[in-house]
Amino acid sequence: MRRYLIRRLIQAVAMLFVMSIVFFLLIHAIPGGPDRVLFNPKLPPSVRLQLRHQFGLDQPLYVQYWNWLTQVLHGNFGYSFVDNQPVMSDVGARVGATVELFVVGMLFALVIAVLLGVLSAVRQYSITDYIVTLVAYFGISMPVFFFGLVLQEIFAVKLGWFPDIGRASLDQSGFTPLQVFEDYALHLVLPVAMFSLLFIAVWSRFLRSSMLDVVKQDYIRTARAKGLSPRAVFFRHALRNSLIPLITQVAIDFGGIAAGAVITEGIFAWPGLGRLFLSSLTDLDYPVILAMLIFITASVIIANLIADLLYGVVDPRIRYS
Amino acid sequence: MAMIQSSPVSPPAPIELTPELTRKRRSQFEIIRDRFLRNKAALVGLIVLTLMVLAAIFAPLIDPHDPNAYNIALQTAPPSAQFPLGNDDLGRDELARLLYGARTSLLIGVTSMLVMLVVGVTFGAAAGFFGGWVDAVLMRITDAFLAIPYLIWLFTVGAIFSDGSVKSIVILIAVFSWANAARIVRGEFLALKEREFLLAARTLGASDLRLIFRHILPNAIGPITVIATLYVGFNIISESILSFFGFGLQPPTSSWGTMLNNSDAYITSDPLLVWAPGIAILITVLCVNLIGDGLRDALDPYMTER
Repeated sequence: MRRYLIRRLIQAVAMLFVMSIVFFLLIHAIPGGPDRVLFNPKLPPSVRLQLRHQFGLDQPLYVQYWNWLTQVLHGNFGYSFVDNQPVMSDVGARVGATVELFVVGMLFALVIAVLLGVLSAVRQYSITDYIVTLVAYFGISMPVFFFGLVLQEIFAVKLGWFPDIGRASLDQSGFTPLQVFEDYALHLVLPVAMFSLLFIAVWSRFLRSSMLDVVKQDYIRTARAKGLSPRAVFFRHALRNSLIPLITQVAIDFGGIAAGAVITEGIFAWPGLGRLFLSSLTDLDYPVILAMLIFITASVIIANLIADLLYGVVDPRIRYS
Repeated sequence: MAMIQSSPVSPPAPIELTPELTRKRRSQFEIIRDRFLRNKAALVGLIVLTLMVLAAIFAPLIDPHDPNAYNIALQTAPPSAQFPLGNDDLGRDELARLLYGARTSLLIGVTSMLVMLVVGVTFGAAAGFFGGWVDAVLMRITDAFLAIPYLIWLFTVGAIFSDGSVKSIVILIAVFSWANAARIVRGEFLALKEREFLLAARTLGASDLRLIFRHILPNAIGPITVIATLYVGFNIISESILSFFGFGLQPPTSSWGTMLNNSDAYITSDPLLVWAPGIAILITVLCVNLIGDGLRDALDPYMTER
């Protein structure tokens, strides 16, 4: 098990290196290069040369990459072109918001997806199943951001039940913790609803088919024949074994979840990493773009690794050499 | 040990050709077609999608106004007799924009799917069929593309390289979606490679090319068609997401995505501008998904009728 872990970690680091080179080349491959963004086009050529030298842009690419890499390994991702702050501090300020959205969103999506999937499987071909399937189809076909806009318009603007953007409205002082909590919670509702829709749709369908497959297995029949109550059979055997493939599916979907978070943050002006990424793209703020890409790649790799390990823990048939 | 008697064998009696023996058998295509058509949801999807395509093609006949003609006096006007869906933020005819936008969105969806399919199937087939180092190399390349989420790639490369034309969006979407298609096709080829009929053909001396095109590919067409159909919807959504965030099509090219981008600011004052393109996308993709699922069910040899 440990050897497997080490091997995977080495693979992960190698992949990260390769992708960092790819991203670095990507950013420097644009016609005009970083010059286009950094420098006022009306600059006299001499000043431009001086600035290029200052930013290290006149050195060969591999030197630039090496400089960037050594800095990154010290935790320094450079300075944002937009606000001249260290990239790390920009990122650090926003991590909390994204984690909040992510964790709450994923938990919510998982719980609802499992509930709906189980309901659908247990009452196969009934009206309930039909309705859940219909909702799932809509969820899959709906452009995610449109759903967010609709939610915003109906529930925030028209009905006024929830705030339409941002993470919190109250300033930190002068309110009880309960009020602050309520504020945060209210702000979370719509973004989480939008964020989780697609995955609830996909995962509930997935769990449904997974459960239907499991229930046909012989060991379920044996459990019932042994005299185990339907409820015990369900919780001890059927549910557990249906959840295992879901873990793999969630890991595969992690990339989509990250992208969904980016879109959600864009629509609801959520002050997180996704929003930072979007604005860095619009402004062509290269240090930040590079840092975010590395961050996202690392997250995807880690998520896959965790999923593989979880799989090994949950399924006793799997042994890692 | 039995003695083999050589006895004269008389020719068999002539077979009576009853209607049962001579009736026309349904071809495989017809069987699949009929199964598909029996799926009501898929049928509805097909009809509605056809109507949408026709509406897009005959847009000038349905709404004679120019979708790009703006008229500031009519800014965000509500629906009227002359403009059934009202006017957008620049006074342009919303219905006309919807119809012409359909052309762009559908075109992008289908074209990018075709490009993606060609590349993806080639890569996947080569990797799956030849195996060995070919597979390893091709899969490494595919893995690099799959290392970060598809939408993140789209946003990044779109923001940096795209010039806002239909062509660059099509290429962009195709470039980053073929990896997934290649992987699926590879899986199909790997599975089909082990089947007996392939061993038989190979034993009979069939060349690699013949094996691929005459034997494996026809059997893989099923899942490939399903992927193709579903990806049309997926690509339409991708294009609209890109355009909505400003990384996709730039004016004057317009699609449903750009319409959503423009109308976002007016969500409170004139929500129709948001609903119209959004519902259009939703219905189109829903139809495409219904058709795709219908095809998948019709092509599935293990599906039992219920």
